[in-house]
Amino acid sequence: MIAEGAVQAGCRFFAGYPITPATGIFKGMVDMLPAQGGLALSAPDEISAIAYAIGASLRGIKSMTATSGPGWALMTESVQYALMTETPLVITLVQRLGPSTGGATQGAQGDVLFAEYCTSGGYTIPVLCPVNATECYTLTILAFTWAELYRTPVILLTDKEIAMTAERIDDDVLPNMTAQERLTSKSGSAVGTYDFDFPQEIPAFRPVGGLEKVTVTGSAHDKQGRLQKNTPETLEVLKHLEEKIRWRENDFCVVETDLQKGAESLVVSYGVTSRAAAEAVARARADGTKVSFLGIKSLFPVPRRAVARALKGIRTVFVAEENYTGLYRSVLLPLLGGTEVRGINKVGSMITPQEILAALSEPA
Amino acid sequence: MEHVATSVDGMELVYERPSTLTDTPMHYCPGCAHGVVHRVLMEVIQEMGIQDRTVGVAPVGCSVFAYNYMNIDMQEAAHGRASAVATGIKRILPDRFVFSYQGDGDLAAIGTGETIHTANRGENILVVFINNAIYGMTGGQMAPTTLLGMVTSTTPYGRESAVMGFPLKITDLVAQLPGAYYVTRQSVHTPTAARKLKKAIRNSLEYQKQNRGTCFIEVVSNCPSGWKMTPRESNEWMEKNMFPFYPPGDLKIPRG
Repeated sequence: MIAEGAVQAGCRFFAGYPITPATGIFKGMVDMLPAQGGLALSAPDEISAIAYAIGASLRGIKSMTATSGPGWALMTESVQYALMTETPLVITLVQRLGPSTGGATQGAQGDVLFAEYCTSGGYTIPVLCPVNATECYTLTILAFTWAELYRTPVILLTDKEIAMTAERIDDDVLPNMTAQERLTSKSGSAVGTYDFDFPQEIPAFRPVGGLEKVTVTGSAHDKQGRLQKNTPETLEVLKHLEEKIRWRENDFCVVETDLQKGAESLVVSYGVTSRAAAEAVARARADGTKVSFLGIKSLFPVPRRAVARALKGIRTVFVAEENYTGLYRSVLLPLLGGTEVRGINKVGSMITPQEILAALSEPA
Repeated sequence: MEHVATSVDGMELVYERPSTLTDTPMHYCPGCAHGVVHRVLMEVIQEMGIQDRTVGVAPVGCSVFAYNYMNIDMQEAAHGRASAVATGIKRILPDRFVFSYQGDGDLAAIGTGETIHTANRGENILVVFINNAIYGMTGGQMAPTTLLGMVTSTTPYGRESAVMGFPLKITDLVAQLPGAYYVTRQSVHTPTAARKLKKAIRNSLEYQKQNRGTCFIEVVSNCPSGWKMTPRESNEWMEKNMFPFYPPGDLKIPRG
C-alpha cells in the first residue's frame, strides 16, 4: 500500500537495496513504476539508493527510497544532504529489531529518535507513522505532499508488522487524495536557488538542467546555494531550515483522539502498538474504567496542541511503544508536566492489549 | 592430517564430519553450495591443525549463521564490512589465520570499496566469495553478479544492461591489484570441483602463513531457491550459464 500510495502521489522514481522488511516496497515499485513511465533502480547499497533518489528529485521528479534500520544508518549522510539542500524526498523506514543488524524478521519501534535526530544540529524532519494498510496509503501521499510543499525530506516510519502484514482493504472507500505538485519558480525570474525574504518562507524550487543556473551544495550556503562560512546570510539560511517547519508545526498535526469525559488516565501510542492500545482502551471502558486514548501519527514535529488538549483532567499518562528505552516517551515528557508518566515497553514481540490493560490497572 | 579409521558396527568408517564443523543441522536450502563450501573449508583447517588459530568473519545474508557450523572464532560483521573487520583482526593478530566468507551482494555491491581496498593493501587474509548471482536471503533480488537476461524479483523481465548495467566480474578486478597474491575461481557442484576448491583453500592458507598478501577464492554457486529450480536443475543451469561468464580456473597464481 505504501507503493500504491507513492504512485498515486506522483512518485516516478524509486531506488532501493534489498533489506528485510522493506524489500516488498522495492519490489512493488519495480512492478508498478515502469507502467507509469517511471523508473525503479537497483542500487549497490543504501548510500547510493538515497543519492539516486535525491538526484532525480533535484530535477523535479518525485522520488522515494525505502529501507530498514541498518540501511537507514547508511542513508543518514544523504538525509542530511536532502535537508540541507531542501530537496523534497520521501524515505520509508520500516523498523526492525536493532541495534545493528538486530533482527531482520522481528518488528520494533526503536528507530524513532534515530530517524528524527539523524542530522547534525537536530533539525526537525517530519515523521509520519501509519497504523494500518489504509494509512500506509494515505500517509504516504501526505508524506509526498509535505515533502513538496515544504521542500524537505519526510520520513514514513513504519515497522515490520505494518509493512509485511496482509490486510484486506476496500479500494472504493480509500479517500480520493490529489497529488501535490512541486512549487517551481517562474521561468526567467532572477532569484537564486533558495530565495526567501522571511526565514519561514519556502523558496520556490528550481530544477537542475533547466533554463536558469542552479547551484546546490550540502555545505553551509547563501541563498544562491554558494558555499559560505558564517556570513549573516548563511546563518539566516541555517535558521530558515528549522523555521520553515517550526513556524507551521500545527499544520503537521495528524492524530487520532478518543477522549473520555472524566478520564484520569490517558494512553498514548503510535504505529502498530496503537492498535493494541485502542483495543485495550475499548476493553477497559467496557469494564467501566474511564480512560482516554491518543494515537499519534505525525510523530514529528511533535503535535503539542493535540497533546495539551488530551491532557485536560489527566493524572496518569501511559506511553506504549515497542522499545526498551521509552523513546517517544522521552520526547513527550517535557509536555506532560504535572502528570505521572508510565512507560509500557517491550521488545521481541508486539505489545498486547492485555499487557496495556494490566499496566492500566497497576496501582500508583 | 591424522586420520584414524574407526569401526562402526563392523564396518569401516571412511568419511566423517571434521571436528572443525559443529554437529548442528544447517539451515541452508536443499542443494545449496554453502554447506559443501563450509565443509571443505573446515576440512582444510582441521588438516592443517589450525582450528585454535583461525578466525573467520561472515556477513549478513545466507551465511549469517556460519558461526553455528564452523567451530572456530567467528564474527558476523555488518553488511559489506567483513573484509574490513578481518583487516582489523589480522593487523592485531598477524599470527592467526583470518578469512572472510562473503556473498556476491555483500562483497561486490555494498562492500565493493572494502573488497577492493583490502586486496589493494594486500591484507594477508583469505577472502572466500560465494557468487550465486542473486540476493538469496532477502528473497531473490538482482545482485551485481546477476547475468544478463536473468529473471529475479527485481528484474521480472530479465536483467537489461541498458537499465541495470552488466554483471560485475569483481574477481577479475581484484586480480589486477598488486596486493592480490593468489586469485582463483572454483565451484563445488561435483566431487572433483570440491577437491579443487579444497586445494585452493589449502594453498591460500599456506600463503597466508608466508605473509604473501590477499588470497581471493570465488566459488561460483547455485541458489536453487532464488533461481526457483531443483538442486540438479540449478547445477546444470549454473554450468550452462554461469560458467561461460564466470569460467572456473586460476586468475592469478604466484610466479615461479
